[in-house]
Amino acid sequence: MKMNRRKILSLIGISPAVLAGSPVLAAKDNKKKAAPAEVKLTALNPRGIPPPITLIPMAPRLATLEGKTVYLVSDGFPGADHFLDQVAKWFKNNMPSVTTEYRLKAGGFADDDPKLFAEIKTKGNAVIMAIGH
Amino acid sequence: MVTIAFKDLALTNCAKRGMPLQRIAFTPHPVWGKTDEQMYAYLEGNDPVSGKPLMKEVVDSLTRPLTAEESKTGIVTPPTGAPTFTDTADSLQQYFLDNGMTDTMPIIIPTQEKVDAMLKGTSHKPDEVVGKMTPAQGAFPPWSYTVQQVAVNAVMAGATPEYFPTILAIASTGISALFSSTNSLVSAAVINGPIRDKLTMNYGIGAMGPFNQPNATIGRAWTLMSRNLDGGGICGETYMGSQGNVINYSNLIIPENEKDSPWPPFHVQKGFKPEENVISFFFGFCITQGQGGKGLGVKPIPLYHQAMSANVAPFASLFGALFLLDPLVANGLGDLGYKTKEQLGDWLQKNTTVVVKDVKSMLFSGLPRGPEAASLTDDSVIPKWSRLDAFNFVVVGGQTNPYHQLANMSYRVSASIDKWA
Repeated sequence: MKMNRRKILSLIGISPAVLAGSPVLAAKDNKKKAAPAEVKLTALNPRGIPPPITLIPMAPRLATLEGKTVYLVSDGFPGADHFLDQVAKWFKNNMPSVTTEYRLKAGGFADDDPKLFAEIKTKGNAVIMAIGH
Repeated sequence: MVTIAFKDLALTNCAKRGMPLQRIAFTPHPVWGKTDEQMYAYLEGNDPVSGKPLMKEVVDSLTRPLTAEESKTGIVTPPTGAPTFTDTADSLQQYFLDNGMTDTMPIIIPTQEKVDAMLKGTSHKPDEVVGKMTPAQGAFPPWSYTVQQVAVNAVMAGATPEYFPTILAIASTGISALFSSTNSLVSAAVINGPIRDKLTMNYGIGAMGPFNQPNATIGRAWTLMSRNLDGGGICGETYMGSQGNVINYSNLIIPENEKDSPWPPFHVQKGFKPEENVISFFFGFCITQGQGGKGLGVKPIPLYHQAMSANVAPFASLFGALFLLDPLVANGLGDLGYKTKEQLGDWLQKNTTVVVKDVKSMLFSGLPRGPEAASLTDDSVIPKWSRLDAFNFVVVGGQTNPYHQLANMSYRVSASIDKWA
């Protein structure tokens, strides 16, 4: 490693600026005499380019859930299966004419499951997806 | 139905997916770890956002006729702010901070002059599209960005134009350092080739500490890009790490100590030539120290491989293992007979074992799939990782002691730095 005079002075605890006459201190003195006008800068935006969003209209609603089949779809996070068991139980207790069908969505939480959604379109009337953690 | 902890994420992500008025009913958080009775009580209670009975809201959501707004079609362009901001340096610092465009520490103000200087570090044109990035693949629509937008972030991080090709190589992969998961994940990048010396990167004493400008600012630029180029790093929305991770400030930037290693460098393992400049990416849970492990007290040569196996055993097999070996450890392993990294990986894969019943009780560790799975019993002893390439080794450090660190991280991809010069 190269050792210059500045490094050696620093090693023994002496600021090189003290020996050389500190320009930092000199600048502080000048500031006391006349505060410079505040300079304005123009900064560039660091953000990237988000894609345009295509609005997707929501599916038509049902007039009632009575007598209908509701798919309960887990996104695969821990606890979602047990939670949806309780949702099924709630329907059984409160809206017994509703048929519930539990399914675990295939793949990771962000993956599509075209086979499942095709099944729901054919055999189901509504879907509740859950939940998080 | 979504738990309240994910409210902002659910609402904003539905909007980004073109369903800004998606009907969502919220439950208390969490459901994981709650009893059936506790979860049923959630259903009998109120939605914590609307204050209305939860299941009534669910039923209403499925039966209430759609409004005109909910049936709307068309295309919306999300705003990202003005192309430039003009103010005093202090006010600009505050503006960047307030608008979530920093890592919360002061930045270098990215003036046109500084950005132009940064752009001189590459032969690529400022308006060239570098790539696409998202805070989580599949979950959020990816954003795109140009060479100039990468340069703005590089300036903010305190990088110099000489570092810019490396930063562009990072950007070209689209890998966010702030991956949105509740797991508070971290990212690492291993740098190989002559560029390490050209940039005077530190691969010796304190290589992974805050002691070297290229190591630090290249890593910081990655974090800033991960906030600004893809809309990431917004807590509760595009960042969900429950506890967060201090490594996300500047990430693990690891120039390999090629000259003191007994083995070929990492990028050569991946098919590159030694003279090529390459950055290789890792991703996973975190990093920990390997001192004090089994076998390290053995003389004259400590049994490093045994310590490595013991240290890596508790890791989740969802991710692999990245071993960061001081050259003293790497050369010691060479003396023990491990003449290649592959040979060492092979030993670790075969000897780092687990009992099947223990795997079944673990999170983020899985059992093997395929025909061999059929013959397993709860008492079967199996390798914790079924794949040899789960283990990766990089030599880094200044040989002040034969130490190693290890990360529960998987290799993702390698990218050419030279391509961006």
